[in-house]
Amino acid sequence: MAAIHRLLDEAFAGIEPTPEALDLKDEIRANLEARVAELEAAGTEPDAAARRAIDELGDVRELVADLPATSPWNAHRVRPRPAFVVRTVLLSIVAAAALALLLLDGVGLLALPAGALAVAVAVVALALGVVVADALRQETSTDYPMSPRRASGYGLATAAVLGALGTGWLLLNGVELPWLALAGVLFLGGVALFAGLGASQTNRHKAWALQQSDHYAEQGDRFTRDPAAAARFGIYTLVIMVLAVVAFIVLTVTLGWAWSWLALVGGFLLMMIVLARMLFPPAR
Amino acid sequence: MVQDSDAFAADLLRGHTDTIVLGVLRRGESYGFEIYKTIRDATGGAHEIKEATLYAAYRRLEKDGLVESFWGDETQGGRRKYYRITDAGRAVYQRNVAAWTATRDIIDSLLDPRGSGRAPERH
Repeated sequence: MAAIHRLLDEAFAGIEPTPEALDLKDEIRANLEARVAELEAAGTEPDAAARRAIDELGDVRELVADLPATSPWNAHRVRPRPAFVVRTVLLSIVAAAALALLLLDGVGLLALPAGALAVAVAVVALALGVVVADALRQETSTDYPMSPRRASGYGLATAAVLGALGTGWLLLNGVELPWLALAGVLFLGGVALFAGLGASQTNRHKAWALQQSDHYAEQGDRFTRDPAAAARFGIYTLVIMVLAVVAFIVLTVTLGWAWSWLALVGGFLLMMIVLARMLFPPAR
Repeated sequence: MVQDSDAFAADLLRGHTDTIVLGVLRRGESYGFEIYKTIRDATGGAHEIKEATLYAAYRRLEKDGLVESFWGDETQGGRRKYYRITDAGRAVYQRNVAAWTATRDIIDSLLDPRGSGRAPERH
């Protein structure tokens, strides 16, 4: 029976829960239960009965296809894998703990030996590198998972750059100079890896996400459609800011610092309101 | 070959889903699984119309006012949605059956199932 409820929930995921959709779901549920009861009465095992009833049902998705969807994002939603969430949280905690040790040592609250500090830097760099690689390996609602090699490349580059920055931090806090060579090599290697990966990176967005962004790009905003409006906004902004600065100076001289900053805040607010009015003119 | 004739029959059945459902409901109000079972048993279990196809038919028929639906008052288990044929539904059913009978005669004479293979000879 549990299998039935799961299948129904999956089929109706992303469907706007209108009374009509919920009715259909309840109706299908009752009929599936009747079929399972019939199969079980004929001597079929409960699990096999549920599976067979679902097979006989046919494609439920096709049936709910013409019900209104909540949004394309909902219909294509991919849930994060629990194991991934746990891994990321645990690694982040480990990295945060190591980072805290480094900071406490840096401000002089702790006095750790140089070896322990180097280990802490390595822990931060490796943990965050793994988090990056792991995240890129995940399928998301808008993106396909990255290939394992490329994802580990990004993870490695992240770890190298973080390791270099950490080593640099240790140098500032008085670790011997030879480490500088290591930091330099790590940094250059990491940056080179990032550059190579970035240059050879291809799209991994899903088709629906690309369509969506095309759709938004087509709409455009007022400033791209009407360059004169953008120029007008530039002039308005200049005038507002000059007035604000003049008001700021006058207020500083007359009332003092306690109140004069309000002139700048007021100018900024006015600028944002003008921006909103010009980008989204009220409908006539 | 058996596969082909199955597909042919399934296509024909599917093409008449709405009329078949109306025909089942003409004998009395019923709910989804019972309608499905009636159709399955009528074909001797050899053919079936997928339940998903039937749900689409119920929605279509209800929208067109040919059937009306109401929830049963089962005390245990899930509540069932019952369907009842309307007068408009009966009229459409009669019309479709008449159309089918006429079409069947034409198809019979065109496909000539009595197997002479050629135009019948006159003596």
